[in-house]
Amino acid sequence: MPPFIQFVIRRLLIIPFSLLIITMLLYAGVMLTPPEGRATLYLSKGNGRFSKNIIPVIIREHHLDAPYFVQYGYWLESLAQGDWGYSPSLADDVLPAMLQRTPATAELAFFSLILFIPLGLLSGVFSGWHQRGRFDNAFRLIAFAATSLPAFILALVLISIFYISLGWFAPERLSTALSYQLPAQNFQFYTGFYTLDGLLNRRFDVTLDALRHLIMPVVTLSLYHWATLGRITRAMMISEHGKDYILAARARGVKESKVMWKHAFRNVLAPSITSLTLSAASLLTGVFLVEMIYNYNGISIVIAGAMKGGIPDAPAAMGFAIYSVLIVLLMMFLLDLAQAAIDPRVRSEVLDI
Amino acid sequence: MRTLRRFFIHWQNWFGLTLVLFFIVVAFAAPQISPNDPINPGPFQQVKGFRASDLSPKNPEQAPPLGTLPGRISVFHALIWGSRDALLFGLEVALSAAIFGIFYGAVAGYAGGWLNGLLMRISDAFLTFPVIAGVVLLRQLWQLSFEAAGGAIYNGIIAFEPTGEISPLLRLLEWINPLTLTLILFSWMPYARLTNSMVATIKQAEFIQAGRALGASPMHIILRHIIPNSISPSVVLAARDVGSMVILQATFTFVGLAGGSVWGQMLVMGRNWIIGPGGNILHFWWTFLPATLALVFFGIGWNLLGDGINDLLDPHGH
Repeated sequence: MPPFIQFVIRRLLIIPFSLLIITMLLYAGVMLTPPEGRATLYLSKGNGRFSKNIIPVIIREHHLDAPYFVQYGYWLESLAQGDWGYSPSLADDVLPAMLQRTPATAELAFFSLILFIPLGLLSGVFSGWHQRGRFDNAFRLIAFAATSLPAFILALVLISIFYISLGWFAPERLSTALSYQLPAQNFQFYTGFYTLDGLLNRRFDVTLDALRHLIMPVVTLSLYHWATLGRITRAMMISEHGKDYILAARARGVKESKVMWKHAFRNVLAPSITSLTLSAASLLTGVFLVEMIYNYNGISIVIAGAMKGGIPDAPAAMGFAIYSVLIVLLMMFLLDLAQAAIDPRVRSEVLDI
Repeated sequence: MRTLRRFFIHWQNWFGLTLVLFFIVVAFAAPQISPNDPINPGPFQQVKGFRASDLSPKNPEQAPPLGTLPGRISVFHALIWGSRDALLFGLEVALSAAIFGIFYGAVAGYAGGWLNGLLMRISDAFLTFPVIAGVVLLRQLWQLSFEAAGGAIYNGIIAFEPTGEISPLLRLLEWINPLTLTLILFSWMPYARLTNSMVATIKQAEFIQAGRALGASPMHIILRHIIPNSISPSVVLAARDVGSMVILQATFTFVGLAGGSVWGQMLVMGRNWIIGPGGNILHFWWTFLPATLALVFFGIGWNLLGDGINDLLDPHGH
């Protein structure tokens, strides 16, 4: 078997293992609540939480007074069967509600990833290579400002200027009029990304409108991560700059730009991706927070209702937690693959374990 | 002496230290700077002299020194008392997370072998958990337990049964702040990792071997020898975390997932005059700028102080 395939398989096997640990910890947290509390996780659409006599039935049906491992097993089984509970604040089943909104969140995350990863790498490489140069000084100043400014305050400023005063961009996901018209106008949802579907349906007004709504959230999300990625890349570029192989390449008369991109950059790329992998969870938190600030109709809607309305909604919180852990694990897996594809050292390292 | 010079040679370290000291002084002197209203204490004090129905924010000329938020809330008072809350919250979360993480990492590293592997795998599992999911989940589980224990919560307001006595469990649950607990629970892993990787090397050092040969207990070795020798990177991280935890708290307050941040709450109150219909960031600047600057400088101060401590502790950093 080629080493890359071996690597992929090994890496894939980590996912269920991590998932097992996390769900065990999660259910241990749930076990801290009394059985009557846990029972509300299984309330369905028909029986509201005020029907007291349904609770003992649920406790018996779902073995909620059994020992931890038995309960955990039954709970895991119901999860695997797609029974993620019913959210009273959303008035919908949790899993379908999240699946339906996943493309929206993915669209937001996708656009900010393709914006900040290349820009972060690029600015890190340039400013690290010419340390203390003019570009480096400017970069360090802007990056410092970008990491000091909390995202929600940046969002406030952006909305105030570009939406309230100028009216160029807008929050939410699509203009209200457009989002009501679309289903009637035979608009096909191929991917769930409004920008792409607009192009595929030859409805360029939809694409433009979606972009107009995407710009502010994407910028808010990208700025902080651009600065962080750029700083890390810069630091590694500086340490790479002084190494012997760079000196040797220069002595051989290799062009400066080639030394920079072909030699130094290739060694910096993989560790930069490692830093992204480690911050995958905080990246996702950022996506959800930005969604909530901009009223963007993504996955975070599931919890927004539960927290703001004050209605107790443990099923939504539980489903949301598991779903977002799944997303993080998937992101980490993809980033690891990218890293292994770029850097052969990573592949052999993992295989050694 | 030379280490102190290394600290004060960079103006950034000066700046960070000054900012942090400033916030500490303000936090301690809050009752002197802006006296509390004895009838209605708390960070949100209503300015007298306006009609109760008048909800529009008053500018600094009408209500010195910094104007009011909608509902006649004094900006200056909330700003001053907010620094007390922010400092307490930041220190509480960062110190708890640091102490737990350092201890966890040290114990795992000292134990070594498969136990170390398992413990560090568990800490890695926490890394895959987005904080926002933790905030929501813990809050809901806390509410379930609280209501099952006999309390009631409506729109964030905690209430008890008027007649029945309050059980110790309910007292405990009331004392726990779900947001504080969540942030501690999801920020200890870096400390554990840092300490763990250092312990792996320190464990082989001769003074540890000597201590073990003399019959010192593992707990003694961990507390007296291993932790003091591996604590310095964690101190740097903790200083930075004080600032970032306060900003995180304000963010969660702003989006409505939790309460508690005074500065965050100020921005919530002023929000409609900034981004609501007819809002204007330049016209109603006092509803926005004071809390923003407080948050930003609080974050910057602790961040720079962290860098400064790094200069102090790590001579090879530069």
